[in-house]
Amino acid sequence: MPKVKINDVEIEVPAGTNMIEAAKLAGFDIPHYCYHPHLSIAGNCRMCMCEAETPRGPVLDIACNMQAREGLAIRTESDKVKAVRKSVMEFLLVNHPLDCPICDQSGECRLQDYYMDHGQYDSRGIEAKVGKHKRQDIGDLIVLDAERCVQCSRCVRFGDEVTGTGDLRLMNRGDHTEIGMFPGTRLEHDYQGNLADICPVGALTNKDFRFERRVWYLRETDSVCTGCSTSCNTKVCHQEGEVFRTLPRRNDDVNRSWMCDPGRQCNSGVGSLDRILRPTVDGVAVPDAFETLAARIKAAGAGRTGFVMGSGASLEANWALLQVVKANCPGAKVFSVAGNNAGAIAKSDGLLMDADKNPNSAGVALLAAWFGGIGGAEDLRAADLSLLVVLEDDIITRLGGNPAEAIAYFGTHNNPTAELASIVIPVAHVVEMDATYVNRQERVQRVRRATNPQGEAVPAYQALEKLGAALGRAPGTSMPTATFSAMARAVPRMNGLDYKALGASGRLLAPTVQPVAPAAPVAEAK
Amino acid sequence: MALPKPQKVLTLSESSYLVEVLKGMVLTMGHLIKNIFDQDRFRTIEYPDVRKPMTARYRGAHRLLLRPDGGLKCVACMCCPTVCPAKCINIVAGEAENDPAEKFPITFDIDMLRCIYCGFCVEACPKDAIRMDTKIYEINAYTRSDMVHSKAYMVNLMDGLKPEAGAAYRAEQGLAPDGYTNADSAPEGSPR
Ligand code: SF4
Ligand code: SF4
Ligand code: SF4
Ligand code: SF4
Ligand code: FES
Repeated sequence: MPKVKINDVEIEVPAGTNMIEAAKLAGFDIPHYCYHPHLSIAGNCRMCMCEAETPRGPVLDIACNMQAREGLAIRTESDKVKAVRKSVMEFLLVNHPLDCPICDQSGECRLQDYYMDHGQYDSRGIEAKVGKHKRQDIGDLIVLDAERCVQCSRCVRFGDEVTGTGDLRLMNRGDHTEIGMFPGTRLEHDYQGNLADICPVGALTNKDFRFERRVWYLRETDSVCTGCSTSCNTKVCHQEGEVFRTLPRRNDDVNRSWMCDPGRQCNSGVGSLDRILRPTVDGVAVPDAFETLAARIKAAGAGRTGFVMGSGASLEANWALLQVVKANCPGAKVFSVAGNNAGAIAKSDGLLMDADKNPNSAGVALLAAWFGGIGGAEDLRAADLSLLVVLEDDIITRLGGNPAEAIAYFGTHNNPTAELASIVIPVAHVVEMDATYVNRQERVQRVRRATNPQGEAVPAYQALEKLGAALGRAPGTSMPTATFSAMARAVPRMNGLDYKALGASGRLLAPTVQPVAPAAPVAEAK
Repeated sequence: MALPKPQKVLTLSESSYLVEVLKGMVLTMGHLIKNIFDQDRFRTIEYPDVRKPMTARYRGAHRLLLRPDGGLKCVACMCCPTVCPAKCINIVAGEAENDPAEKFPITFDIDMLRCIYCGFCVEACPKDAIRMDTKIYEINAYTRSDMVHSKAYMVNLMDGLKPEAGAAYRAEQGLAPDGYTNADSAPEGSPR
């Protein structure tokens, strides 16, 4: 690994690292607009200019296009560099409309931030600013304001390199350069929200979030998207218990910096009218449904009671379900039904979206393999059950019919299963609890509590703890950390995983131990 | 702890009561006579018919200003609710479909019961959309909800909703005609 020197700090970085990233490792922030870690280098904003030491003396060059090599030394804070940054800011703002009061980017805008850090000049502008097209509706999710654009071409490269749609283009020349779409076209891909995220200024903004809330009011909580089994890493932005937007969080192993548009909606139902807020028994709201449910499970008898694991529920909740069964109704059958809930569009593309719209299918498979004897959809149809306890999954839609005489449903939202269920127990939405999910790469990832549960909902693992207590033996799953440790001890593929150590980017499960195939007889060579 | 002073020993004239009463009467009568012949030094005013002129920097009830074309100046930038130390400004922003300003406040409420009249909202506004120059200090109502000044109320504040802000008061205070408090914000031929 080459050793580079940044402002006299020597640091070893992997070969090929560009100097913006290298400086970040050394603790220096190089301002930039056009560089993005997951797009190609364009080098057109010139904001990342720094001074490289060469045999000819110090030379100004752009850091984003400078790759680490042995002995490279740069200065990011010299007077010359500062002067250049100031001038770059002045050029960028020459024709800028200064829409900040109505601009959604305000508060997270690089023009604002860098002006305060590196600009602070007095305007010398005496000529009228060049006007461009404002408030253009260019896609289902995006509003384009060409005047605010700084021509960094990040959006152009996103269309060319990530979605391959090549829809946005920089047109005309000089200070008439304008970002826009080809006449008569609209953005058609499913990754439009990312454009608003990568645009360093307020030229591309998200319609869903438009004028909803000022960004400086929002708190961010790390989470993962529950829209499909890819489980892109996200940041949930919320204020006072209300979720306003879900943004992708960088995880180079899962979603890089992106997420799909349907995924951005995964938390939009947190406060929806469809939420199940109170436990009900036979359609009547009751203060506590666990005793009733326990009595009905006992009345049905273990042999005629079934439990369904939830591919939409967390790993902890599924573990709690299995522990309740193990401790209280050892004879009961457990099922897991693949498929999607009502309303899900099973779309898959080569990029991120997966047709399996459940965030925890791999987690269910993991625990099912560990528990053993889990039935599938066919077994459930064939089983003669008087009571079926369903964890979060919309079993009616998945099976296309009701497999049991009665259903008890633990869920967040009303759906065909909740409508049919005689006992409904509200559980917390993914943004309302600490838990883990396993994505299709078998990566165990954490979600964190951003808001308080609505109504009387509690996290599903706590609801199941209460059910276990009502049945006689509580599974000990009221705390996610303790639950996770218990799982990590019991499930061989989770051995060694630690809840806290999952960190921001998650950890992969240990690979399955493949039975060693008997060596095939080696054919005689030649 | 300081001990209370021993009571002053009264002189004979003081303790005889009548002399002191007469002294007091002389003082009162002196002022009365002076006031009758020199009414300019009167300290009492006939409120509410007569009002004291407020200083130019006096911060009264808030008003919202209009653009020359009649639209609200406020674009719901949220600077004032952000800076407000009493957290009493409540704005819901919305998209103004046919307005180049794009954004406008659907509702703009100030809870005057919580307002501390610091004037930060006026300072923070990048659009000069809110001012506290009405000099209105009678901010009162029969219900709590009426103490929340709404957008419509604050736009029309100088248009007679408050009697003290009426034309006569404005003339007396040297303020601009109906609809505007200051001459500089009253453009020619405005629709209002
Ligand atoms: S892009 Fe940034 S600087 Fe430009 S108007 Fe928006 S917030 Fe202000
Ligand atoms: S619209 Fe945004 S991302 Fe695209 S070139 Fe302009 S500033 Fe860059
Ligand atoms: S005067 Fe001060 S307290 Fe009152 S609304 Fe304005 S900022 Fe808030
Ligand atoms: S600061 Fe001014 S423009 Fe912004 S919301 Fe308040 S009154 Fe409106
Ligand atoms: S970030 Fe290097 S030129 Fe734009």
